[in-house]
Amino acid sequence: MLILRTLARGPLHGYAIAKRIKESSEAALEIEEGSLYPALNRMLVKGWLTAEWGVSDNNRKARFYSLTPAGKKQLEQETKDFDRLIEAIQLVMRTA
Amino acid sequence: MWRKFSYLFRRKRFNSDLDDEIRFHLEMAAQERGEAAARREFGPVVRMREDTRSAWQVRWLVDLGSDLRYALRALRRNPGFGAVAILSLALGIGANTTIFSLTMEFLFSQPSCRNPETLVEMQIGGNSDIDMAKYRFLRDAHVFNGLAGSNEEHKAEANWRFGNDTYRLQTMRVTENFFQVVGVPMAMGRAMEPRDGDVVVLSDRFWKARLAADPRVLGKTLIIDGRPFTVVGVLPHNHRTVLGFGFSPDLYIPASRESDIVALIARLPEGMSRQAAYARLVAACRQLDKVYPPDWGPNASWANGTEVVPVVGMERLRSLNILPFAAFFGMLMVVVGLILLIACANVSSLLLARASSRRQELAIRLAIGAGRGRIVRQLLAESLLLALVGTGAGLLLNVWLSGVMNRVQLPLPLPMQLLIQPDWRLLLYSMAVAVGSALVAGLMPALKATREDVSAALKLTERQVGQWTLRNSLVVGQLAVSVVLLTTGFLFVRNMTKSMNMNPGFDAEHAAWAYMRLVPEKYTTVEQKQSLVRNALGELGALPGVESASIACIVPLNDNWVTMTDVRTDVSEQPVRVRFHGNCAGPDYFRTMGIPILQGREFLPSDGKGGGDAVIINENMARELFGAKNPVGHTFRYTRPTLGAPLTVVGVAKNSKYFTLGEENPLALYNSFNPDPWMTNLHFLVRASRPRDVVKETAQTLGRLDTSASIEVKPMRDAMGFAFLPSRVGAALLGSMGMLGLALASIGLYGVLAYSVARRTREIGLRVALGADRAAVLRMVARESFGLLGTGLAIGLGISVFATKPLAMFLVPELSPSDPATFLTVVAVLGAVAFAATLGPALRALRVDPMTALRYE
Repeated sequence: MLILRTLARGPLHGYAIAKRIKESSEAALEIEEGSLYPALNRMLVKGWLTAEWGVSDNNRKARFYSLTPAGKKQLEQETKDFDRLIEAIQLVMRTA
Repeated sequence: MWRKFSYLFRRKRFNSDLDDEIRFHLEMAAQERGEAAARREFGPVVRMREDTRSAWQVRWLVDLGSDLRYALRALRRNPGFGAVAILSLALGIGANTTIFSLTMEFLFSQPSCRNPETLVEMQIGGNSDIDMAKYRFLRDAHVFNGLAGSNEEHKAEANWRFGNDTYRLQTMRVTENFFQVVGVPMAMGRAMEPRDGDVVVLSDRFWKARLAADPRVLGKTLIIDGRPFTVVGVLPHNHRTVLGFGFSPDLYIPASRESDIVALIARLPEGMSRQAAYARLVAACRQLDKVYPPDWGPNASWANGTEVVPVVGMERLRSLNILPFAAFFGMLMVVVGLILLIACANVSSLLLARASSRRQELAIRLAIGAGRGRIVRQLLAESLLLALVGTGAGLLLNVWLSGVMNRVQLPLPLPMQLLIQPDWRLLLYSMAVAVGSALVAGLMPALKATREDVSAALKLTERQVGQWTLRNSLVVGQLAVSVVLLTTGFLFVRNMTKSMNMNPGFDAEHAAWAYMRLVPEKYTTVEQKQSLVRNALGELGALPGVESASIACIVPLNDNWVTMTDVRTDVSEQPVRVRFHGNCAGPDYFRTMGIPILQGREFLPSDGKGGGDAVIINENMARELFGAKNPVGHTFRYTRPTLGAPLTVVGVAKNSKYFTLGEENPLALYNSFNPDPWMTNLHFLVRASRPRDVVKETAQTLGRLDTSASIEVKPMRDAMGFAFLPSRVGAALLGSMGMLGLALASIGLYGVLAYSVARRTREIGLRVALGADRAAVLRMVARESFGLLGTGLAIGLGISVFATKPLAMFLVPELSPSDPATFLTVVAVLGAVAFAATLGPALRALRVDPMTALRYE
């Protein structure tokens, strides 16, 4: 979900995705950067993402990932599910 | 899923892309945080690469691929093993798929027509054919989206005048709308159309064989039955008639004569079910009752016994009443199934033998943590590879055998042409066979091989027990199955020799048969035919070398005319239900055919002229009607459908064979010959001590009497091909299957025995070194293999006794399915094979130098 969210703003290459996730979570989420790529590839197989070779900011060849319509739908669905989960937890925390 | 498949083809590209990406990531990270930190935060590169790749892979497919590659390498290392296994499977699968193709072609072939599923055939009032007037009535009732008729009975023969010769051809007389209703595809020219007049459509076979594939044949005329017919079209070479069963007429011509009768075929209207069509047809039949009242009883109706049947599939076979025929193919399928089973058992025991020599390899792989399932899968991949290659070779065999069968010309009264071609059904079937045999042959050895105790296997000890029982039971099973196959094969071979030597009850060695077909339009009165017959008999009888000449309606063992009716004799009031073979015979028939007259007399020329009330019956009929009394001089009459005039028995003929050699105690009735207005086929018979020498003169004599008639003369012995056909085909097919089964089982037996002796080389060497008597060692080896043989034979013979029981319906009555000679032969043959298979390996074992044997390994 984090990857999908990050890509919702536009196409990015792998390193940028890792950096963005790390920055926006203020380094609270420590994931191995290497595990990003298997995850990206699984999403490619499922058809949520597409990948294209392009040129990065510093003029180097890099692979840019972007969301497909199916990926956008998936993101909406996951966001909704996540919100519902949080709501449910909050409800339990408040009433308990 | 397709994304994964596209990955399969771009693997290299993908890997380099991934490497580029990782490098890019690491370099970017290194610029910001330094290389060490970048690598630490990235994690292990190799694992990440594996994980990424596996996201794309279809796991089992990749595994299967590498298993197959490994199996291929293993096969190449051991070509002898591979060759024997593949040969076994190729023979088994080749036989199996060929019989499958043959069965499909015979019973389930698709006729050449548009949308066969909406075509139906029908019976009207229990009749498969109706005359033209009734056909037109039903056609104009518009029950169907087109109703056509065709006639392929022997009335549909025609004489073709070509140069100075006249040939008898098999035609299909069809109503003028037949081609439109059925939708027959053409190779050249056009189909027959309504109001075409005298036109003809040629079969590919006729066009090629008789007209030398003349490319300008369209528009030419053929003289058929004395009338010119214009050629409008040629059928494609793969044309199959709606009748099926390989029937292939020479020509299609219009059914234009009022006397033609036709079998009906119709196109169901769009969306109409067969049931609905049937209901409408029955209604139309009731209308037909009013116009053409049925003449076979007071309550008869054309609607009774009316059926609507599809032109393809099981239901058609049932309605055609040929299920026994289908049963024969069923039996063939069982037999080839057994052969395939033997072949699989061969491969299976080879795999077992190989597995035991690979025990170490497998044990090591298990010990370092390979899953048992994974190893089983890999071993199965090996047998799958064998099965696939075997199936490929088997299909080559199939194509070759089918070609042979397509070319075979069978001695049948109607022209037949099989058109066996590989099709999707064969492909699907052979795929199933390949996978099936891979599992059957491979599963047991694979499971067995992986059940080993790892430490025991690593130590290379030869355990004597476990493996033995499985391999032994395989050999015993193979032997049992091949006993069953051989028994069936031998039974059919014995059946053939028996029927070839069987006395048909008439003298086939000293008679010749002249088949003369007249052009119906040429003889307008019965008197013309009578005088032709009289002249012909006179001239034939006067030929040098001819002892006597006669004529008959039916030539025994070539045609059939069975009647079932009730008769009342003058000795009893009680009517008797009889089913008999009818024939009509001219004077001297019994003398010419060499059938003894036991009581009374033979037909005289005077019998034909009177009312034709003199009859001759055979012994069986005499016993049935008159018991022990002498029937000569007694009379009987038919009581159905109406009471007939009394028939006087003038003679009793010895029993003989009438239609098949297998028939048992049939009744027979001969009327005296008297040509009727419709008779166009005359069967003259001449008796000569050397019938082959009078063939030419007979043909010339008849040809001079009527140049428009087609004439074929052959010695009676040659004319019996049709009668021998079932036993010959049975013997050829099942005999060769039996031989194939024996060959495969011998390979298996030899292989297993040779291997078991080889494994005991050390033991034998030791025994010899310790002073064992060579003869004793030989006895030991022999005891083992004859133990196997005995068990296999016993089981096989036990099964055979029961399995061959239903075969009685295919055999001549003189041969019992439990024929002792057959069983003895089978036992002797298998015993000899087993002896040869044991002797070789045993002698080799004895020659082993004790020292070599001890140092073995």
